[in-house]
Amino acid sequence: MNEKEFERLLLSVQKPGRYSGGEINSVIKDKSKIDVRFAFCFPDTYEIGMSHLGMKILYSQFNAREDIWCERVFAPWLDFEEVMRKNNIPLFALESRDAIRDFDFIGFTLQYEMCYTNVLNMLDLAGVPLKSADRDESYPLVVAGGPCVCNAEPLADFIDIFFLGEGEEVDLEVIDLYKEHKKNGFNKAEFLKAAAKIEGVYVPSLYEIEYLPDGKIKSITTKDNAPKTVRKRIIADMDNCFYPENFVVPFIQIVHDRAVQEVFRGCIRGCRFCQAGFIYRPVREKSYEVVNHQAKCLCESTGYDEISLSSLSTSDYRELEPLLNNMLEWTEQNHISLALPSLRIDNFSEELLEKIAHVRKSGLTFAPEAGTQRLRDVINKNVTEEEILSTCKTAFEGGYTAVKLYFMMGLPTETDEDLKGIAELGQKIVDMYYSMPNKPKGKSVSVSMSVAVFVPKPFTPFQFEPQITKEEMERKQAYLKSCITTRKIDLSMHDSSTSFLEAVFAKGDRRLGAVLESAYKKGCKFDSWTECFDLQKWNEAFSECGIDPDFYSLRKRDYDEINPWDHLDYAVSKEFLIRENKLAHADTTTPNCREKCSACGANCYGKGVCFERR
Amino acid sequence: MKFVSHLDMNRFMTRLVNKAKIPIWFTEGFNQHAYFNFAVPLSLGFEGQYEILDLRIIDPAYSNEQLVADLNKESIPDIEFVKANEPVLKMKEIAFAEFKIIFEEVFAEKIERFFAREQIITQKTTKKGGTKDIDIAPLIKKAELSGNELTLILTAGNENNLNPTLVLSTLFELEQFKAEYSVVRTMIYDKKMQPFI
Ligand code: SF4
Repeated sequence: MNEKEFERLLLSVQKPGRYSGGEINSVIKDKSKIDVRFAFCFPDTYEIGMSHLGMKILYSQFNAREDIWCERVFAPWLDFEEVMRKNNIPLFALESRDAIRDFDFIGFTLQYEMCYTNVLNMLDLAGVPLKSADRDESYPLVVAGGPCVCNAEPLADFIDIFFLGEGEEVDLEVIDLYKEHKKNGFNKAEFLKAAAKIEGVYVPSLYEIEYLPDGKIKSITTKDNAPKTVRKRIIADMDNCFYPENFVVPFIQIVHDRAVQEVFRGCIRGCRFCQAGFIYRPVREKSYEVVNHQAKCLCESTGYDEISLSSLSTSDYRELEPLLNNMLEWTEQNHISLALPSLRIDNFSEELLEKIAHVRKSGLTFAPEAGTQRLRDVINKNVTEEEILSTCKTAFEGGYTAVKLYFMMGLPTETDEDLKGIAELGQKIVDMYYSMPNKPKGKSVSVSMSVAVFVPKPFTPFQFEPQITKEEMERKQAYLKSCITTRKIDLSMHDSSTSFLEAVFAKGDRRLGAVLESAYKKGCKFDSWTECFDLQKWNEAFSECGIDPDFYSLRKRDYDEINPWDHLDYAVSKEFLIRENKLAHADTTTPNCREKCSACGANCYGKGVCFERR
Repeated sequence: MKFVSHLDMNRFMTRLVNKAKIPIWFTEGFNQHAYFNFAVPLSLGFEGQYEILDLRIIDPAYSNEQLVADLNKESIPDIEFVKANEPVLKMKEIAFAEFKIIFEEVFAEKIERFFAREQIITQKTTKKGGTKDIDIAPLIKKAELSGNELTLILTAGNENNLNPTLVLSTLFELEQFKAEYSVVRTMIYDKKMQPFI
């Protein structure tokens, strides 16, 4: 297709900037000097994918190597997909506009389950057979990483290689192995066998799953000497690990349009519903000097006038005070706004507090997740009502009039009492506001509460738990609504059909591959977008494949049942998860990693919070 | 840059002046930002060859040549800075813009007949969202077809700004044909038809 023609097609769709490339800091290389071409695919729109930090890190790191050219690919939106299919434009990479069908690797990052149909759609748009078994040596290798890989069994038929854990090291080891194999006549099967020997590499085709008559897993066995369990990789030394000096700076507005600086990985807290809190263990921090330096470089190379700090819980960063002191110096001078997350500021100096006061604050938000202290103990979320009320009070005194709270519904052991607690907490905030003599004059308060449906996830203490049924959810929603009596509280409860599907795929096994393919063929894609999600089609797909989705999501699993992900090792042991599950049912909290080690198993890497002096 | 809207272009410039460390004047107050202003927004899908950007430098020792060199060093190949000088005219003295329309197929007779009309009535959407009939003939200063290239000079600026897209859609409607085309804005003029500086 000639340039003119292509441009005209681009101009016929919404937001052509999604597909045009050519942004500041995008990497162009001379093809003739490249050994390995890697298509880094984010199975969602440009605006979402471009906001993702992991992609930026790997993009820069791959491209730092002279022999690799890594390019970006996003899922085309419906309008452009139609144009592509009509004009036979195969899925291309933004930098070179070359078809990714001719690349060495097609790599996906799997951030949420609801993107799986987009993975299939992108493979199809690329002109590549969907199933790993149908792709011979003439096709690119299809690989995937990201948090969903901790149970990506539903995608096992489609992906050649999964990378477990953090990709910085293992991805390059696999690329190097690939280069070596290419020298001596490339044989895919041989290569996969060899790759499986690298720690952190999971080749699903080398594992055989047998099922019991009741549908549960009987056994997981390996072929060709593949390891019995695959352990995730982590970067142990965060100060010396690669961090990009620049980001591609988009023309069009993306979701998080700013520089992002990582401060640590992992989370000390161990909230029992939170997958990220377990699969990224142990906590590993960067020193504040390194964070400060990297942040400054990033702002200089991108020209961004806004930077945010990234981690699962930035207020737990031990060197936050020296970091902010250092960062505020140059950000203020250069008119850069530092976006701070809500912080626990109890032990900051007066001076720093004053400085922070100048920084534009983001809204006042809390995530108590549950309405009563009992249930918060069950989920190990250590936010107390006093904390919320006292923080709100300070904020109201400072002129705030709006607060946002996030909750979940359908948590293990939840009763109506706990739901009522959600409404009561909101009411207490409203009452407190009106009882304040020094409340902002002439303004009314607004408390918005958003309640999502709980999705049990692998590698959490709640992996054994069922999700609530649709009927139960509807009943709970109606009850909660009836508990709210003031118009100052704005209650939003999401349409949860996607949560149900998410639970099925989160805890699903390989047999769901057929359902995915069938749903995809019926036209399911962009399932996380309400305007695209079509439950009807999904239900048809399940019944055509003879698969009962409730088997995966609504069943309480025994501790000794073999889970589809039990051959994957994320360094938190199943014994630990069982211990935690029992503690949850006894309404008992677990101290965070800094207070006391709970022997989850993640100390096996010899680094991180497990070895801090307590 | 064809696929960049006016808003995108503003975002791009904000970052470019930061990245190139231009000693530019920042607005004061709560939301401080680098101040600059594109004289005439360029529509998405058009190319521009003579775009005007107004900005204020706070370092007297910083030369115009340096400014152009620094911007170009950090810019992308598709956006090139040509020249910087002290403002001669005020922005509101912008009066005309010249466009080159390149047709993929030419319908010379129809095009010439269209531009020879005394009156060209079309509908324009008003700010309130309604439409009103206007005569665009007086706003077309020049229309010259040579081969498949149509040169248009249209009124520009705050009042009576005429977008070539409107001219072309009216052309297709009244003369009943359709052709693919691309648009390049080649010049911006003042009232005396001198290149705007
Ligand atoms: S081993 Fe202990 S300190 Fe380390 S992550 Fe696990 S619980 Fe936390």
